[in-house]
Parts: sequence; structure tokens; C-alpha cells
Amino acid sequence: MAASVKLHLQFGGGAELLFDKIKKREIELPALKKYFPDCQHDKWNIRDLLVWIKDNLLRERPELFLQGDSVRPGILVLINDADWELYGELDYELQDNDTIMFISTLHGG
Amino acid sequence: MDRIQKLEKEINNLRKALQEKESELFEMKRNWMPVHPNNNLNQEDAAQLQQHNLKNVTKVYYGDKLPKWAIERYSRQILLPDIGVQGQEKLCAAKVLVVGAGGLGCPASVYLAGAGVGEIGIVDYDSVDLTNIHRQILHTERDQNTSKAESAADTLRSINSHIKITPYTVQLDSNNALGIASRYDVILDCSDNVPTRYLLNDVCAIAKKPLISGSALKMEGQLTVYGYRADRNHNEKDLSHQGPCYRCVFPNPPPAEAVGSCSANGVAGPVPGVIGALQALEAIKLIVGQTHEKLLVGRLLIFDGEDVTFRTVKLRPRNSQCAACSESPTITRLVDYEAFCKAQAKEKDLDLQILSPEYRITASQLEEQLKKLILEVDSNQKERHLLVDVRSEAEFNMCRIDGAVNYPIDQFRGDKVDEILRMVNDKNQVTFVCRRGNDSQIAAKMVIDLIDEEHKGNVKDLVGGLHAWSDSVDRDFPIY
Ligand SMILES: [Zn+2]
Repeated sequence: MAASVKLHLQFGGGAELLFDKIKKREIELPALKKYFPDCQHDKWNIRDLLVWIKDNLLRERPELFLQGDSVRPGILVLINDADWELYGELDYELQDNDTIMFISTLHGG
Repeated sequence: MDRIQKLEKEINNLRKALQEKESELFEMKRNWMPVHPNNNLNQEDAAQLQQHNLKNVTKVYYGDKLPKWAIERYSRQILLPDIGVQGQEKLCAAKVLVVGAGGLGCPASVYLAGAGVGEIGIVDYDSVDLTNIHRQILHTERDQNTSKAESAADTLRSINSHIKITPYTVQLDSNNALGIASRYDVILDCSDNVPTRYLLNDVCAIAKKPLISGSALKMEGQLTVYGYRADRNHNEKDLSHQGPCYRCVFPNPPPAEAVGSCSANGVAGPVPGVIGALQALEAIKLIVGQTHEKLLVGRLLIFDGEDVTFRTVKLRPRNSQCAACSESPTITRLVDYEAFCKAQAKEKDLDLQILSPEYRITASQLEEQLKKLILEVDSNQKERHLLVDVRSEAEFNMCRIDGAVNYPIDQFRGDKVDEILRMVNDKNQVTFVCRRGNDSQIAAKMVIDLIDEEHKGNVKDLVGGLHAWSDSVDRDFPIY
């Protein structure tokens, strides 16, 4: 049975406004099967994390953070300071102590 | 009063005459320069240099092309191994376009002008407003209501008279962007909106120019170099290397309601200052021929002034299927970027008409009602009229009408709405106000839709918002 996963979550560029204006959070995900009993895989991935965030952290206006089962356009997801596209995006399997950042792009000047 | 107006007019005319004389002098100086690839060596210098060299058996070496004044003037950066004489020559020959003469464009262009970049174009359709000056450092109080591009160009000329500055007082769009950008080697995106960012990306992809993209809002800034091509730089080992473009990383624009602006969300002046200065640094490094590993190519700098952190994160590589920068792009000509982004490039004052006239009152009507109510409250001991201000808490703290209560529109749901519905039932009138009279209509509409028929008439909205209030009732009320 896979154990729980500790993560550093960070929000920036305005994305934190959807999360009580808190930019940095330490979270601990329970064992995946505990949270999603019907889940077909064993390890948390980013797709699962987004659902967990929606259930547990996202208080208001989910459409400003999510679109379908992914993040909305204009939010960059970074896994340990690298673009999530380099790691398989939604399918990336989370490791203990990973830093996952959600950065909204800025447009002001 | 007459005397003041007369003086103001006189000073304006003098200023205009001075500007004309300055540009006449500039043109004359320019035309006097001898035929030279850089146009930086004027005749006097050339003659002096030749004489000097003839007299000196050991030959004084000034570098390949740089005249004495240039060596002296730019010596502090020529001393750097990263720049050197050759780098300075490249800077003097370089042409850079700065799009936006605002919080990013001002500091960026100051450093480019100071560094001796041979030609700087600066684009901005807007005019200088007093609220710009805390961060837009090329404009002064006396530049208010004049063109930002012109105002920026004037200041840049006063910083360096040896370079060519071209202001473009236009809104950059699909029709004019390629024509303007193709005259320059490097483009700086110092704009403030999404459509212009996609427009510039596609312009740079089509014209094969590097795009140094900065942005800033509130306490945060971001910076990266898009569309870098190693084949333009003979210092690169692998000439086929290409960095990602804006569309490689962000193929789709964000929803318009998720995009903030400096006028709505605020910005600390030094934040765009930091990013703009770094845009200039990246431009200088790129021009002198530094390779992609040293530039912010494929990397994004994220600056957070709140806890002063600079973080550089790795971006995805160029997308071989990218609509703009791949070998077979689907975007081969510029499109309608406002339609693509479902947003406006120009900040226009929206003038929404959501409510029908019976729900709307003017500022003067509101003033009269409020005056009358002061008397009625005394006799009735019951507050009968409530003003609900739906702006953000920060705005409400900045200025408000006496007696108004604050219910920010972005928290308008659940319990808060129930509270307001109860108040509407209790009072004779509830008037919604905001800055310009758009959000207040949205709020009022929500309440009207929810409340029972007999109380609908109690809901009102202030036409034109607090701007109208300041215009026609209280001149001392700040317009921001
Ligand atoms: Zn691309």
C-alpha cells in the first residue's frame, strides 16, 4: 500500500487569490486508495492532485483555475522548478517532497 | 487667472519651438556624418583621429571603429569583458524596438539609450496620465496629456544625443506591426495586455526576431526571451538551436476575466522597474552576441517583491508543431488578436448597459436623495437608504462616500448576498456604487434577479459610478 505524500504547493502571479491569498502551503496527501477508493493506479499524479486541490483548497470560482481535468490556459505548472510538460503533465507521478508551483502569467506593464 | 493661462500658453509654444529646433539640429548633425556603417563617427572626430594618427608614429589605437567620444562615453561598460570594444560597436549599430512606454518600457529604454544602442523605436498610443508617473520614469508632471511615445523619446534624447530615437504614437495592430518591427533587430515586449503579447509573438516569429518579454503586476514580475534563433549568432556552437516562442508555452490565451491590469489591481513602481531593467540587460547581452545558455532562453524569471525572491524556472523546449514558430507554421500572417484573446488591446472605459433606466440614478439625484435622508433619519430614527460600494477593500479604503458599506463584487455570493437581500427588504432604497458604474450594475442585477417582485424597485445603481460623483457632485472626490 502506497504511503502518504508530502508536497510543497506554491501559487503565484495572482493564482493565490483563488486560495485565500496564501502563496505557499505544505500539504500531505493521504494514501491514494484511501482518497479515491475506485482508483485504478497506485501513485498520486498531477491529475489526482488537481481533484484534491479542487476538493480541499479551491474555495471559489474553480473555472479561474481549472478547465476540464487540467489547469486553465495561462497557468503554468512547474514541477521542482521545471515546466510540467517536461515531465508528462497530468500523468507525472508525485514524489515525496516535490515542489509543485502554479503560476498565473502576468500581462501588465 | 488670465496671466496664468497666458503664461501656460507661452511656455507651451516655447517648448514646441525648442523641440523643433532640437530635432532640426539632430537631423543636421546626422546628415553631416560621413559615410560610415555605424553612423557614429562624425566628421570632426574622423578628421581628428586621422591627424592624430598621422602625427603619432606608434599609432593610437581606438579600436576598430569607435571614435574617441564613444570610447570615453561608454568606457564603463566597454571595460567589461562581456561587452568590450566589439560589443560596443554592435550596440552602436543595433536597432531595438520597445513596445510600450510604460512601467517596463521606460526603464528598459533608459538603459538602452544609456548603453548607446544606435536606434531605439518606442511605441505607445496612449497619453501620459498622472497615475502613470510613479513607475513610468521617462514622463514628468509637465508631460501630462501628451503622447507617451513622444514624451519618452524627448527624455531619451536628453539622455543620449548620439542615437536615433523614433516615437510611434500608434496602437500596434495587425496592419502596422510588421512594417514597424521589421526595421529593428530586437523587440522588447513592454506591453500591458494579452492581445498585444500574441501579436508581438507572431510578428517576431514571422520576421524571425528575438522577443524579450517582460510583465509586471502588483508585487510580481516575469521575464523571458522568446523566439531566440542561434543561427543569427556566430558565437553559438549549434546554429540550429531555437528557443520556444510565447505560443509554444501558451498556445491558448487565458480567459479575459482572469487577467489583471495595473489600473484595476495596482502595481508597485519599482517592480516593473526591476523587470524593465533586466529586459534591457538581456537585450544588451543578446546584441553583443552572448549565447543562449547565458540568456533567459527557455527559462522564465519569476520575481516576487513581497518576499524578494528571484526564481528561474525551466520552460519546455520549442514545440515542433507550434502554430507560430515551427517549420510549417499555420500562422503565416497576422490575425485579429482581440478576437483571438476575446479581450481588448486598448484599455477603453467600458460602458455597460445592463439595467433598464428605472433602476438607475444619476450622481445629482443621489446627492439630493442623500441630503433629504439626513433630515428624514432624524425624525424617523431609522436608516432608510443604504449605499453599497462593490469595489475592492483597498479601493474602498482609499476613498468612499460617507456612510457607504463595502461588499466587494468578487465576494458577492452565498451569505453575503443573503445579507444584502435582507437589507434591501428592510430599507426604502439600496444604491449600488462602484468606480465607473459597471460592476455596480452587475451587483444590482444579481440582487434584482433574486429578490421578490415588490422590493425590486428599492434597488438602484449609480450611473457612471464614483467618477460621475466626482464630476458632478463632489469635486474633491479622487478620480483614480
Ligand atoms: Zn512557438
